[in-house]
Amino acid sequence: MPLEAVNGKVVRARVAPQAPVLARRGSMLGYSGQVTFRPVHGQGQGVGGFVGAAMSGESNPMMATEGAGEVLYGYRGLYATVLELDGTAPLVCEADRLLVHDAHLQTSVQFLGSGGVRSAVRGAFTGQGLFTTNVHGRGAVAVLSHGGAFPLQVSGGTIGVDPQAYVGHVGQLSVDLAAKVGFRDAVGRGSGEAIQLKISGHGTVYVQASEKKF
Amino acid sequence: MTMPATTWTAATLPVDDNVNPYVFSIALNSPWFMSKGAMLAYYGDVRFEAVTAYASMQAWVAARFSSPIYVQDWVIAEGHGRLLIGDRGYDLNSYDLDAGNLTIKAGNLLAFETGLELKQSIVPGFVTLLGTGRFIASSNGPVIFVEPPFRADPEALLGWADCPSPSVHHDAAWMAASIAGALQGAFGRASGEERQYDFTGQGTVLLQSSEIAREDPAVLRLVEAQTQLLTNSQAGSLGQRLIARAQQQ
Repeated sequence: MPLEAVNGKVVRARVAPQAPVLARRGSMLGYSGQVTFRPVHGQGQGVGGFVGAAMSGESNPMMATEGAGEVLYGYRGLYATVLELDGTAPLVCEADRLLVHDAHLQTSVQFLGSGGVRSAVRGAFTGQGLFTTNVHGRGAVAVLSHGGAFPLQVSGGTIGVDPQAYVGHVGQLSVDLAAKVGFRDAVGRGSGEAIQLKISGHGTVYVQASEKKF
Repeated sequence: MTMPATTWTAATLPVDDNVNPYVFSIALNSPWFMSKGAMLAYYGDVRFEAVTAYASMQAWVAARFSSPIYVQDWVIAEGHGRLLIGDRGYDLNSYDLDAGNLTIKAGNLLAFETGLELKQSIVPGFVTLLGTGRFIASSNGPVIFVEPPFRADPEALLGWADCPSPSVHHDAAWMAASIAGALQGAFGRASGEERQYDFTGQGTVLLQSSEIAREDPAVLRLVEAQTQLLTNSQAGSLGQRLIARAQQQ
């Protein structure tokens, strides 16, 4: 396992010549061994990939770590959760939540607007923009959260999540925005929970114990 | 979240131990040096006095606290009681030095016993403790201990003990890639990952998750003191560059 949690906020990556990792730029805390760092783009599929990523706001500055050694990663004291992807379904989250992942995992930007108006509205409300990042393949990835992310299992049912507490999800899930904007909300006496994400299907949803982004 | 089971009193508070990961309770019987603003609460007869005011009266204070750039940021707590300290909700740990030396980021050092001597480190923003006694320091997340050879990001470095002061290592591959990238206009020149502190020899390096940079008043005094190395014309051109930078922001 190339990624290992040292504590709630720090992840150790074992880097080998055949197993480089990609990490958020500025997240390296320290390292031992013969390791080099090289800046790369978050979505490195040529010029088109870069421009697309830049336009979508999902162009998180990343760097490649190559060589052989052990590297510690952390970012501004945020909590880091290590997830193992088995390759059957992508991890969906925002690009700036990715702390470090195996370099052979593929990332791509998903345009939520293609899911219709409701999908686009979800992006606008969750502060995710209209785009999210999909991480495909088999390997380990560490995700940043404020206060730590915990998994919630969804098996055929539906779960409601506060958009600000939503970190990401893995599995065959569909995400929908439920806006119950009634008269009370319009006049400012709402419960503050009027807008929720309705996530249904089979998979795992990761939620943070905070409504603060970073 | 359950309610805390204990309501503390002066008698039940821990003696020189953590109340929880973020709060430390000092059983005050002899004077302690304390960082300004670290005090959360206290029981008993406890007085706080500025180190500057104290030093003129007690010669030992001046001998223990020989860092003029930090002297304004510290007070002496004396008297008898229980003193609770904390810092930004960070994890707190106490460390015992036995005729040892340990260098730590100035902003993370909260309190130390008078058996220890505080000196300004060669590395900017760090202080060195020498002697025997206990001190309390904060860290963003639990402290990670590693052994040299090790290279650390300056922002994640909490301190080091028993090993030589670090040298600055510049990652050549990173700089080459970064400058090439800057020429293509793809990304900026100052990307932050190219500079590391390189530790060699025997000892221990202390790390934390990187901090959000906090304004350290001592850094200004430190840099200002260094400008004495400049000639008058050099100082003038530095001043102009600083004014230009301040106006940009």
